[in-house]
Amino acid sequence: MNDIKETVHLTARDQLKVLMRLISYTYPFKWTIILAFVMLIFSTVAGMIIPYLVMVFIDDYLTPAVFPEDEITMLIVIFLTVQIIGAVTTYMNIYLFQYLAFKVIQQLRIDAFNKIGRLGMRYFDKVSGGSIVSRLTNDTEAIVEMFIGVFATFLMAFFMMASSYVMMFVLDVRLAFIALIFMPLIFLIMLIYRKYSAVFFSYTRQLLADLNAKLAESIEGMKIIQVFNQQDRLQGEFNRINAEHYEYTMKTVRLDGLLLRPAISMIQILAIAVILGYFGLLSFESSITAGLIFAFIQYMERFFEPINQVSQNLSIFQQALVSASRVFRLIDEDTLEPEQTPRTEHEITDGRIDFENVTFSYDGRTDVLKNISFTAMPGETVALVGHTGSGKSSIINLFMRFYEFDEGRILIDGHSIKTLPKQELKNNIGLVLQDPFLFYGTIESNIRLYHPTMTFEAVQTAAEFVGADKFIEALPGGYHHKVLEKGSTLSSGERQLIAFARTMAVDPKILILDEATANIDSETEEEIQKSLNVMRKGRTTLAIAHRLSTIQDADQILVLNKGEIVERGTHDELISRKGIYHKMYLLQNGQ
Amino acid sequence: MKVFKDLGWFFRQEKSSYIFGVVMLILVALMELIPPQIIGRVIDGITMETLTPRGLGAFIGILLAAAVLTYIFRYYWRILIFGASNRLGRILRERMYTKFSYMSPYFYQERRTGDLMAHATNDIRAVQMTAGAGILTIADSIITGGAVLITMAVTISPELTLIAMIPLPFMVVLTSYYGTLLNRGFRKAQAAFSELNDKSQESIAGIKVTKTFGYEKSDQEDFKALSDDVVEKNLKVSKVDALFDPTIMLVIGASYFLSIIFGAQMVLSDEITLGQLITFTTYLGMMVWPLLALGWFFNLVQRGRASYERIEEIMQTENDIGQEYMIEDAPDGDIEFDIGAFNFPGNGETALRDISFEIKKGHTVGIVGRTGSGKSALIRLLLREFDTNNPEDITYGGEALRDYNIVNLRAQFGYVPQDHFLFSTTIRDNIAFADPGLDDEVIHEAARLANIHEDILGFPDGYDTVVGERGVSLSGGQKQRISIARALITNPEVLILDDSLSAVDAQTEATILENISRVRHGKTNIITAHRMSAVSKADQIIVMDRGTIVERGTHSELLARGGWYHDTYSQQALRQSLTEELDDLVKGDEGDE
Repeated sequence: MNDIKETVHLTARDQLKVLMRLISYTYPFKWTIILAFVMLIFSTVAGMIIPYLVMVFIDDYLTPAVFPEDEITMLIVIFLTVQIIGAVTTYMNIYLFQYLAFKVIQQLRIDAFNKIGRLGMRYFDKVSGGSIVSRLTNDTEAIVEMFIGVFATFLMAFFMMASSYVMMFVLDVRLAFIALIFMPLIFLIMLIYRKYSAVFFSYTRQLLADLNAKLAESIEGMKIIQVFNQQDRLQGEFNRINAEHYEYTMKTVRLDGLLLRPAISMIQILAIAVILGYFGLLSFESSITAGLIFAFIQYMERFFEPINQVSQNLSIFQQALVSASRVFRLIDEDTLEPEQTPRTEHEITDGRIDFENVTFSYDGRTDVLKNISFTAMPGETVALVGHTGSGKSSIINLFMRFYEFDEGRILIDGHSIKTLPKQELKNNIGLVLQDPFLFYGTIESNIRLYHPTMTFEAVQTAAEFVGADKFIEALPGGYHHKVLEKGSTLSSGERQLIAFARTMAVDPKILILDEATANIDSETEEEIQKSLNVMRKGRTTLAIAHRLSTIQDADQILVLNKGEIVERGTHDELISRKGIYHKMYLLQNGQ
Repeated sequence: MKVFKDLGWFFRQEKSSYIFGVVMLILVALMELIPPQIIGRVIDGITMETLTPRGLGAFIGILLAAAVLTYIFRYYWRILIFGASNRLGRILRERMYTKFSYMSPYFYQERRTGDLMAHATNDIRAVQMTAGAGILTIADSIITGGAVLITMAVTISPELTLIAMIPLPFMVVLTSYYGTLLNRGFRKAQAAFSELNDKSQESIAGIKVTKTFGYEKSDQEDFKALSDDVVEKNLKVSKVDALFDPTIMLVIGASYFLSIIFGAQMVLSDEITLGQLITFTTYLGMMVWPLLALGWFFNLVQRGRASYERIEEIMQTENDIGQEYMIEDAPDGDIEFDIGAFNFPGNGETALRDISFEIKKGHTVGIVGRTGSGKSALIRLLLREFDTNNPEDITYGGEALRDYNIVNLRAQFGYVPQDHFLFSTTIRDNIAFADPGLDDEVIHEAARLANIHEDILGFPDGYDTVVGERGVSLSGGQKQRISIARALITNPEVLILDDSLSAVDAQTEATILENISRVRHGKTNIITAHRMSAVSKADQIIVMDRGTIVERGTHSELLARGGWYHDTYSQQALRQSLTEELDDLVKGDEGDE
């Protein structure tokens, strides 16, 4: 709903900027453009030749009533050839422009999508997934319409008008000049139309969006509306917007009626009157041929025809520019993911983790982590516990490089995580999320993901390793079982086991568990716990635990509160201290 | 054409718009016949040297008049016909909204919001198009096409007309064939596009996984492959789409060719004049649009018909909650449940069985039990979202619930639902939902009772803060408390809290319950809850399990009984005391800073 609401009013200068940037997307296709232009010229010229041929036929052969057979045959052959060339080039020209449009939009889409891969998690915190998707698809689709409905139409219109005018000049210079008087008139009409239609159009759109929003909200909240007996009041509000929408639609109809088709039709007839008057007056002094008048009228009509098409597509143009500006805003977004300054000699060998005085804030005001320091020796498990908002997830967000931090250092095997090569980090750190995201595909593809060299055996081994093989093999199709709807047919425990296998398949040295057991039903909990123990063996593990029972054997437990480590030690040490951890433990076991 | 018959009521209602609109269209068609005639006559005048300045002046005068009249007539048919079709859209939208207003929750349970929205937007638009562009295309086809054809035949030559028409059917056949190809291709393109859409959605939803594994590049390649598919499918459509213009060009070219060749012979044999031949070819150009419009018309009507049927289907759906009533007075007194068995429509499972209890006027009744035990089903029946099997299963003041006017019945209740739905308007309007005209003081008082007043003052615009997507986002607890204020503001005879304290902490819960019992003297309260503390002070507590009552009594009676209530209460009390201790510890830490 947010997107519909967002009525961006672009200034003329912004519009031009967006337009130029869109046009710059066509540069890689310059040969296509050139070819399309050549075809356009051919088809326009072919269209221009036909009336000329008819004129020649009428004036040179029909009026004098002489029909030399070879010349007439020649004329017919030329006529047919021109017709066919015209048809073929018109086809090519239309097709090429559409081809161009789809290719340009594809590039735009790819650019926008690639941008998404480079954006930091910060961006995804503030922008909803739905609105990003609508940039990628709906907004770009609106631009396709513009390329086809506007660019191509405008260009053809321009060529047609220009060449018709040239032909009029060829036929009669003086009349061609006289015909120019219609130009400022048409220009003025277009100007007025553009001015008012932009206003009416955006109002109508806004009202329609309001109308739909009201309707959708009423459907969602009908129960409340009925319980409070407010149907009549809300119906009244709906009717008011509905009536207002109607008023504005009618304004648009009236404006279109005053300035578009009817106006152009009138001018067309006026132009015929001018032509006939001119030639009629001229005929009193000199001889005027029938063919000439015929041809002139034909060209005049071809001159006006494109204006109708162009004016009808103006609104598409404006909407597309708004859409394009939204897509460009995504492409220009500067909330990028943290950058690495990689030193190739830095490697992850053992998996020792050091946090040294790390302080971090999401908004630059309130610190969510204050002076965090701890060390996880290779192969050790460090558990993070605390209330929501205590900062435990932030520790993982920083360690995963989802967010940039400025104060303090995070080291792996003595190297700052900012200087380790990106690939080194990704290859050696495995993260398991609370909500295991499964992609559309198969079980196998969900374990393998995009790994370039992983064999099917490796997938199986990983699944066996975490104990997922039994349930996978029991599924219809086994490893090739289709995963639909984000895996909603599987239980949460099964989904988590697949996520485990996915992580184990790349054999990371460091394992990060972000509340990996929070959403597990109690039936599978035991299995999950077993495979977690297997996974942790020989790997440095940072674990956020929701259930304290799952981390009792951790080498170190850090209790966080308001961004600070308030207690640390082993389970037994913390229990005997009778502090926060002890209370939390009692609370969970009091269930 | 069925859709036109179905829309008969509307055409009758807008009779004058359509009659005058069509008259305007006829006048436009007649005006359009003039310029070619004048062109031919002037040319004949010039070539035969019979043209006089007076005659020329007259011709020009006729043209000028035709120009102005065309403008006027064209303007007015638009206003008349498009105006009427826009009114149709408005009427249909209004009717549909009214229908939605009176449908019971069961109707909404059966249908998705998206589908209902689609009926109200796309389907109405399609029907509106039928009544606007549809009428226009058919009228224009018949009137303009017919007028031009007759004029060609009558004023010039029937034989030549026949010859010139030979290629035109090919155009109709070919373009409609392209149309079907286009539809097929378009569906495939649409499918490819929605796959791309799904892919984008999934990539964004799974961005953390992709980033964790560093597979951004591969993900992008995947996206590129899908976008290649979109391009490919669309270009297939383009290949057909681009055929339209050249085909029309060729067919019209052939028609021109025939009429000039045969027309020239007729000119030579003095059957027609040169001017008439030129008039004829000009008319020929005017035949293109009516023929294309015919194809377009059938397409519009087809879509309009399907859409109208879908709209009618909604409009004909009967409300399963009867609106007739026998008692005009508002209900008053005790509420009595005596349900033998009840199951929700379309679901064979028994939701409630052997329920029998009484809610005395002025009492507070608590209903507790596990999720799915039937607590909410009782509330839904009381609110008449569904009707019981027998009218006497639920009575209010001794009369069956359904004998009352549903408006009066609902007016007795102040309802706070489980899913705290708020409207995307200001907090003020949300609280004063039952009556927007209420004084600020009344609104503030309701907010104070619901323990949300202080929170609201803390928002950027206080009571004028807009909630929802476009405004401030509220926590679940805040939403619940606003819903409670919304229900309290009318000081209802019966307040129903349907598990509506789940998202507030124990302290707030106690405050709100205290406020309620303080101001609601002599009024009935029904509270369902998961937390026993929410009902412990009730006059009567009903414990439900699997659709029936398993325990009942006051708090102390139930504790003494040692059943489910006792166990759950003690467990929750222990948890509560631990949580408080822990909170104290955490707060104590803060003090150390």
